[in-house]
Amino acid sequence: MIRALVITHGGIGQELVRVTEMILGPVPGLASMSNSGKSAVDITEQIKQWQADVPELDGGDPSSVEGTLILIDDYGGSCSTSAQLAFGQDPGIAIISGVNLAMLLGFVTWRDSGDFEELVAKVVQKGREAIILVGGR
Amino acid sequence: MPVILARIDDRLIHGQVTVGWSERLSPDRILLANNAIAADPWQTRVYASTVPPDVEVSILPVSKAAASISEPDNLNERVLLLTGSAEEMAELVRIGIPIKEINVGGLHFGPGKREMLPFVYVDRQDLKAFARLLEMGMTLSAQQVPGGREHFLDQEQIRQMGEKF
Repeated sequence: MIRALVITHGGIGQELVRVTEMILGPVPGLASMSNSGKSAVDITEQIKQWQADVPELDGGDPSSVEGTLILIDDYGGSCSTSAQLAFGQDPGIAIISGVNLAMLLGFVTWRDSGDFEELVAKVVQKGREAIILVGGR
Repeated sequence: MPVILARIDDRLIHGQVTVGWSERLSPDRILLANNAIAADPWQTRVYASTVPPDVEVSILPVSKAAASISEPDNLNERVLLLTGSAEEMAELVRIGIPIKEINVGGLHFGPGKREMLPFVYVDRQDLKAFARLLEMGMTLSAQQVPGGREHFLDQEQIRQMGEKF
């Protein structure tokens, strides 16, 4: 399974995951984390903990994880810096900034159908395409 | 170089610094004094990459950071100085840097820490360092972001906080 963790300021990530599941139903392997009240070191440690723990909690085998998407809200903030520090340049992890709802819906829709690299490219593209000057001016 | 903000913040270089304070103060350089990060090229690269392109960045061990501020080069450079702890800031002040006020920007909850302000959690070591900073003539102003409420910390508050341990 390809897993995803949404790491954001405040409750943004929790709401994005909640709304994704409201639209598509429960999504195993999709979780959120907030930086609220945490130092850079704490966020980094909790990310590592999530990576180490969840497959077992899900009853899965850690070796069955085929890749991990880390979706963060804003590049350069504590969430993205901590994600980079937690994972270094691990080829099985993709850290993507600018998370939006379209990216999460795309992730759930495509994650079982392609390989990890392809999924990463599609999620990034979907996120960009979702920003549209709709009208009103 | 003039230090336009000397900030204690355990998130180090992050949005409140690179966007919040930098938009307000327009520093020429962000100087992070941190021994562990300065010793690790990967961490240095990650933190340095988050600074806006029009702002220079230096990540140096504490002792070298103090020296770099006193260097005659770049005398007019306006510096935003950062440490991750009160202790490191007290060490910089002890070595000697041209500042009068310390911004206590963010110390988050951790084992053995207690709340002093909603964005300032401290242990005994932090309180000792705060007291030392005051003894060395610094003003301690706790303020998370520009325009946010400013709380001045004095010896009496530090003493009272110390009684909670």
